[in-house]
Amino acid sequence: MELDVRGEMCPYPAMKAKEALKKLPAGERLHVITDHAPALSTVPWEGAKLGFASEVDVTGPGEWRIRLEKAAAPIDQKNALTAIAARAAELAGD
Amino acid sequence: MQSATLSTTASFPRGRVPYTALGAVCAITGFGIYFGALEFKLGAYWFIGVAFGVILQRSRLCFAGAFRDLIMSGDGRMMRAIIAGLAVATVGMSFLMARFVPDPSFGTLPPGAHIQTVGFATVAGGLIFGIGMVLAGGCVSGTLWRMGEGYLNSWVAMGGILVGLWAGTKQWTWWYDHDVSKREATWLPSELGMLPSIALVLAALAAIYVAVLWWELRSPRMPAAAPKPLPPAMTVRDHVTQAWARVFRGHGWSYLTGAVTLGLLGTFAYNIQAPLGVTGGLGLWADRVASAFDVSGLPLKGGDTLAGCTAGSGARWLTIRTMTMSGLVMGAFTASVVAGEFKVRFSRQAVRYPQVLAGGLLMGYASILAVGCTVGAFFSSIPSLAVSGWLFAFSLFAGAFVGVQIIRRLP
Repeated sequence: MELDVRGEMCPYPAMKAKEALKKLPAGERLHVITDHAPALSTVPWEGAKLGFASEVDVTGPGEWRIRLEKAAAPIDQKNALTAIAARAAELAGD
Repeated sequence: MQSATLSTTASFPRGRVPYTALGAVCAITGFGIYFGALEFKLGAYWFIGVAFGVILQRSRLCFAGAFRDLIMSGDGRMMRAIIAGLAVATVGMSFLMARFVPDPSFGTLPPGAHIQTVGFATVAGGLIFGIGMVLAGGCVSGTLWRMGEGYLNSWVAMGGILVGLWAGTKQWTWWYDHDVSKREATWLPSELGMLPSIALVLAALAAIYVAVLWWELRSPRMPAAAPKPLPPAMTVRDHVTQAWARVFRGHGWSYLTGAVTLGLLGTFAYNIQAPLGVTGGLGLWADRVASAFDVSGLPLKGGDTLAGCTAGSGARWLTIRTMTMSGLVMGAFTASVVAGEFKVRFSRQAVRYPQVLAGGLLMGYASILAVGCTVGAFFSSIPSLAVSGWLFAFSLFAGAFVGVQIIRRLP
């Protein structure tokens, strides 16, 4: 499933991603497309809370695709938060 | 991404002349010299506005977000930063006010300080503004800096703000006759003395800071990203490049850096005439346009007795307020271009446009009632040691709470 939240700023990317993840059929992935840098931390965080692991692709200048997939094992919240924050800083920084 | 972690110079655009950034810097300087030649204050407030925009863009500080995130997700990082900024501005502005009014018990109010009346208009203003800023996704200053960053939503919200300001101006007489003219503009030092007032405000800020922290720690927090270690700087060029990168590149400033710098900027602005405020300028320009259609609402009844972010008499385009707000957009635009973050962004969700327009309308109207927005009636009022700033802040919180309930139900 794809969720295009380009042009949207906080809190909508994370809010809409959370809603979509809750409705996501089992085994499906959610791709969130965004051009709002803060979404790089908020969207994966909402995912982690619901047990989704995330990957981020750079799809253009200032545009990203966040891929969320249900993790096989339960996610450690604290480690996930640290990793997400570091990745978001890396991606938005350069 | 990998190569960028190896050296800081990799993040510095090379071999390509940044024409837009250079042009913007030249425009800022040129306009500043021109406005300064007209009147020193105009030039000074132009540069203050530019600094305002750079600070907000680099730190992504957003008053609406501070209230909203605290309510919605228990995230109080931005609110705590703003409280720290308020403390800095309180000390700075109080010292200036103590010089302007050596004996506060006399009943004289410090000139230029934002001391609004405490009444129903303040509460109504805060409530309506709080709802509006959550709907619009940013308060008035937040809308201005995101306009400069290329968010189309914010341009739509600004349309709403201008119309709302004009509507509020037209209805002001009713509010003035029924509420504002009957209320007192309470300045704490007149009641308590200067030092006890400063101590009281700082203690209140500290108490709220701890309360926010307590609230925040109930849910897991996003840790602050550790800054990338920079390679050792060996030459002057390395030092300059790294200093530049710290200010204009990378992932920006922390909220705390932004809010404290803003508190200092407010003090600095008050040293010239008045602390920071943006809606006075926007209200003036909205009214200037309205006057072309013979529907002007300025000057406000009793306007010369109001101490806040007012539009003034309405006869001219260039005032310290219009300088502050146009400088803000220019500063935010330039900072986002230099940081490589400028991008025209438009929402794919159709409902967002009427939503932010409505939010803008509410904010514009409310900032007439409260004689200022989150900047003029909150971030500049509490440090003015005005009671109105506190009443407005609590009303804002209540309004933001209602706003959050509304946006949760929107598509």
